[in-house]
Amino acid sequence: MSAITITLLLAAFTLLAMAVVMGTILGVANKVFHVPVDVRLERVAASLPGANCGACDYVGCGEYAEAILVKGEAITKCPVGGPAVASAVGEIMGVSVEEAFPVRPVVHCAATTAQRLKQTPYHGEQTCNAANLVGGIQGCVYGCLGLGDCVAVCDYDAIHMIDGVAVIDYIKCIGCGACVKACPRNIISQVPFKADRILAVQCANKDFGKEVQEVCEVGCTGCKSCARANPDLISVVDNLPVFDYTKYDPRMSLQVIQDKCRRESMVWLGKPTPTELALAANETMPARQEAEFKTTVDQTEWRG
Amino acid sequence: MLESPVTAPGRGTFTRGIHPFEGKELAADAPIEVLPTPKQLLLPVLQHIGAPAKPPPKLDKDAVAGKEIAGPGGFVSAPVHASVTGKVGKIVRVTLPNGRHVDAVAITPDPEQPTPDELYAAVLGGDWPATDLPEHEPGAIADAVKRAGIVGMGGAAFPTHVKLASNPAKPVDVVLVNGCECEPYLTADYRVMLEAPRGIVAGALLAARAAGAKAVVVAVETNKPRAIEALRTAARGTIATVKELETKYPMGGEKQTVPAALGRTIPTGGLPLDVGVVVINVGTALAIARAVLREQPVTHRVVTVTGHGVHAPKNLLVPIGAPYADLVAAAGGLRKDAVRVVSGGPMMGFAVADLSVPVTKGTSGITVLTRSDLAVAEQTACVRCGRCVDVCPLGLVPTKLALAARKSIWDVARRYHITACMECGCCAYTCPASIPLVQLIRMGKARLPRG
Repeated sequence: MSAITITLLLAAFTLLAMAVVMGTILGVANKVFHVPVDVRLERVAASLPGANCGACDYVGCGEYAEAILVKGEAITKCPVGGPAVASAVGEIMGVSVEEAFPVRPVVHCAATTAQRLKQTPYHGEQTCNAANLVGGIQGCVYGCLGLGDCVAVCDYDAIHMIDGVAVIDYIKCIGCGACVKACPRNIISQVPFKADRILAVQCANKDFGKEVQEVCEVGCTGCKSCARANPDLISVVDNLPVFDYTKYDPRMSLQVIQDKCRRESMVWLGKPTPTELALAANETMPARQEAEFKTTVDQTEWRG
Repeated sequence: MLESPVTAPGRGTFTRGIHPFEGKELAADAPIEVLPTPKQLLLPVLQHIGAPAKPPPKLDKDAVAGKEIAGPGGFVSAPVHASVTGKVGKIVRVTLPNGRHVDAVAITPDPEQPTPDELYAAVLGGDWPATDLPEHEPGAIADAVKRAGIVGMGGAAFPTHVKLASNPAKPVDVVLVNGCECEPYLTADYRVMLEAPRGIVAGALLAARAAGAKAVVVAVETNKPRAIEALRTAARGTIATVKELETKYPMGGEKQTVPAALGRTIPTGGLPLDVGVVVINVGTALAIARAVLREQPVTHRVVTVTGHGVHAPKNLLVPIGAPYADLVAAAGGLRKDAVRVVSGGPMMGFAVADLSVPVTKGTSGITVLTRSDLAVAEQTACVRCGRCVDVCPLGLVPTKLALAARKSIWDVARRYHITACMECGCCAYTCPASIPLVQLIRMGKARLPRG
């Protein structure tokens, strides 16, 4: 045999020997150090939406699934999936789910730029967090500043500034709560939507009567009419009506409450109604502009 | 003649800082006038740093000038006293220039009020004895200061009795009276130094007794030679000395005045107390003298109404709670080209949107700026020119702090000591890219996570 063949064979046998030894070690280690994995983990993780939004206070869906199995975390913490996911997870885990509702944010201010009074031009840093520390930008010190910190943090394009006030698009919103944490005025809260559309208070002004009227055309004056219409459901705290959504039932006569409101603070929020969709369908969209891909260079007159 | 045991070895200046347009000539020569009694006063319950004062559940119908209407809400707090005699209305909400939305007690003054001369004599005039002070016990002085609701009158409004409270762990040996008034345009402290120098010295000596200090140093910038002269005359024969400091902004900041006047450096994040110094403003010193010698609380203060946007810039003696509109009217009203009203001076003041806001204990001036005073420029990106670093009197890196605050990068903000910033505004003043550095840093300080 030539020297080359010997060298080749030597290398081949060495590698083979190493493969056998290491394979054996790995095989043994696999048996000895075997960690039993709960088969349910994969199934729970698969039934979660996979949005990894963090609304459940865990880093992602995988970690939440682990928390459900290991720590016994509540199975209703996923606002994105809502009742469907909760019941799916409940089936895997063998727990029954009480009635759960999707949780969605509500912006507690409805005043557009034109309806907010006593405004002064503001030239500083164009974020709500910065503007919130400056007095006198607008008369109302509680309401929406309209600079869009909530819009910036929304990953789902579900909140927009319309006429200077944050408006949530409930079709796109998944309820992750990022806007709630971003708002420096703390005027966005998470509310269980027991129906597609629910009644909510769209004002955060804690002042009373005339003081509110001086700074806002639509804000709640704290007149308590709504609370008198349904004292069980609504209590007035700091001149603001507060819904007890645990007692909220879509079958109640709720329209009465809205009709009592003398301002425009009691509002129906949620997915658009069929009527609204029909109205929008009839709107003529603006004509689409087609781009004209001709260059202007040819016509440029060069001088000098 | 008594000799101060502490000479003032400071070199009279500090590093960095800026020399902005002074604008003091507008109101410097206007003697303090008494504001005509306003139709209504609003006394905010929070005029200081700390817990808001607590009005009793049922307010008295009648207010008597100098009588307490809201007691202190804690140790770091101060009571609020009625500044005029009149009828107490209901409690309303007001938004102060700094953005705080607080309760305020409304008072409608009675038709009969003391004449302007009587008021002037009660607050500023008359004789202030600088001798026979030892008859006042240190504890009694601190107590009188606490009851009188005295807070720092230079602007920050920190309750003064907290500074004077004796702390065995941190003994005080010098009381530094701050008469720098480095803020452009403002002349309220200057006029007080000219018109009541003996009151300032008396108050400073009382504060020194309360705090157990052996020396009193009055620090004044060199652009106020007449004030230096007046204070030197008043301080003759006492332990108080006057120290001249270079005219430079922000000389009046504690961390600048103390090293400049005494040669002691305050550690980052520390207080003058850490180097054995208590710093009080000249207005505060006068208020201490008034509280101890005349047993009167803080009911009035001197406010400069100035700027090119008012017809007749003035220094006014006003009751706490008077609306800004009355002060502006007393200074001849707004001129046609007035575009911005600032509470305080142009460097550290807050723009005011509504002239119905009341004067508080910390209001040192109202500056009205015209279009030509404002440098309105488009904000551009930071080019790392380093001018803000060149001027920051605290040796911070403003651009780093501001951009960290904008992007919420809190570990960087903390590593670069964002909380040490005193918001003097040198960086924003000098920034060629017009980045609102101070606003961003302020926002960062407010949003910085605890811990």
